[in-house]
Amino acid sequence: MTLLAQTLIFGLLTGGVYALMSSGFTLTFGVMRVINLAHGALLIVAAFFTWWLWDRTGIDPLLLGLGLTVVMYGIGWVLYKTVIARVQRIDPELTLVASFGVAVAASGVLSLIWGTEARAATPSYFNTSISLGEIVIPRAQLYACVGAVLLLAALYALLRGTFVGRSIRACATSRNGAALVGIDVERTMAQMFAIGAATTAFGGAALAVLYQFVPDSHYVWIGRVLCIVVLGGFGSFAGAAAGAVILGIGEALTAAYWDTRWTTAVPYLLIIAILILRPQGLFGARHRLEGATT
Amino acid sequence: MIELRDLTAGYGGGDVLQGVDLAVERGSITCVVGPNGAGKSTVLRVISGLLRPRLGEVTLAGASIAGRSTPDIIRAGIVQVPQAGGLFGDLTVHENMLVGGHVLRRDRKRVKRRIAELAEAFPILGERAGDKAGDLSGGQRRIVEFARALITEPQVVLLDEPTLGLDPRASAVVFETTKMVQSLGATVLMVEQNVRFGLKLADHGVVMERGRVILADTAEALLARPDMSALFFGSTPQAGEAAEGREEARKSTAAGSLA
Repeated sequence: MTLLAQTLIFGLLTGGVYALMSSGFTLTFGVMRVINLAHGALLIVAAFFTWWLWDRTGIDPLLLGLGLTVVMYGIGWVLYKTVIARVQRIDPELTLVASFGVAVAASGVLSLIWGTEARAATPSYFNTSISLGEIVIPRAQLYACVGAVLLLAALYALLRGTFVGRSIRACATSRNGAALVGIDVERTMAQMFAIGAATTAFGGAALAVLYQFVPDSHYVWIGRVLCIVVLGGFGSFAGAAAGAVILGIGEALTAAYWDTRWTTAVPYLLIIAILILRPQGLFGARHRLEGATT
Repeated sequence: MIELRDLTAGYGGGDVLQGVDLAVERGSITCVVGPNGAGKSTVLRVISGLLRPRLGEVTLAGASIAGRSTPDIIRAGIVQVPQAGGLFGDLTVHENMLVGGHVLRRDRKRVKRRIAELAEAFPILGERAGDKAGDLSGGQRRIVEFARALITEPQVVLLDEPTLGLDPRASAVVFETTKMVQSLGATVLMVEQNVRFGLKLADHGVVMERGRVILADTAEALLARPDMSALFFGSTPQAGEAAEGREEARKSTAAGSLA
């Protein structure tokens, strides 16, 4: 029983981090209908930045992740202006190929700069934990999850309570209507894409603390992100959060009761299962649009 | 109030508008009618800044506004209520009003005051403030769209096909709401497929065909013309004849919507 409780808590903490990691992807799809396959690469870029800065300065990697939010926002903005927006004007579906190209290119650049050796940022609390009776909560997982949940709350508040957020949500519903109330739709799209990229900063920092990574790890992470959004229903913000928790718990249960090596297969098994049983995702078609922004 | 002179505009290589001349009187309701492809909605897109004119002039109270951005044009005093689907269905009614005040976002007190004022004229804004706009009926959505357009206290309201996709009851709501917008001091320029509905609502009528204004008169005089059907469906004999039957069918719908 203790093992089960321990496993569920561990899965929940992991799921919280996954929820942040997938939120930007979901937002980009919900508002722009762009499947950004570079999202996994953005997570790995943020992870490398975090590791490099931590290695140089010794500053807590999760705090570095917060600081990197601005950097990743800027990278997202440039990526949108130089690639996504241009390709979208030619054919919106081409963004899928273009973003995959960006991911491959980013992986190559990271390999050139930092090599293909596995990296990880291990702060002083990495191997410490908090005990609640018989249950042990690893500090790294706890801090990463708390940070991720706080950032998700901030993202929610931004979308719900600010003019920028309402503009983004308005554009998601009717770009023509948004333009007619004076919203600069193109600028709002760039802001939205950049916010999506900014969420990878803390997500990448958490990844750097909790996992080992190499430049090619973006394939694994885009696989996880896709699993989460397929589980929740493409474009559904609330669905992605639920999908993230399910994946986190699924991986934890697999590791605890079966074999750690099988955890990497869990996302793909879940995708196959959900596509057979409920292709529209757990939250269904009705929630796809509204969920993306609520 | 608004004047278009020799306006030419279009998309890609073609000119949809080919020298449009049009004048809208202050405080009036003017309705533009014409067959599909006549360029009616394009006129509104140019005035509201969504499409730059290639040639010609657009003036508001004598001042040129041609080619200015949509936010600038809203600040100058012109707003457009889009065709059906322009309401932000995922946002609440109150949030729709806030977004309507986007160009005033640095003046929150004014936005708040305007929402309170408009809620007196349109009670649904208060009664359904927290409800998602997408959950409202067709007529209610139109009311919110009209009210949203009035947040910035415009001098001119442009209406693009306000009855498109609405049933007769909702169309009647549009009729009353448009009159209310006029009574609140705004000048209205509307484009409407439902000719009889539009001209019964309007003070002035304008008929467009193939990117040009071919007739402008009082709405009453236009409605009384025996050749109105041919004017609406196109002046070529075949088009006019083919259109007669459709227009007859349309009359009953229009009459129903005004009943």
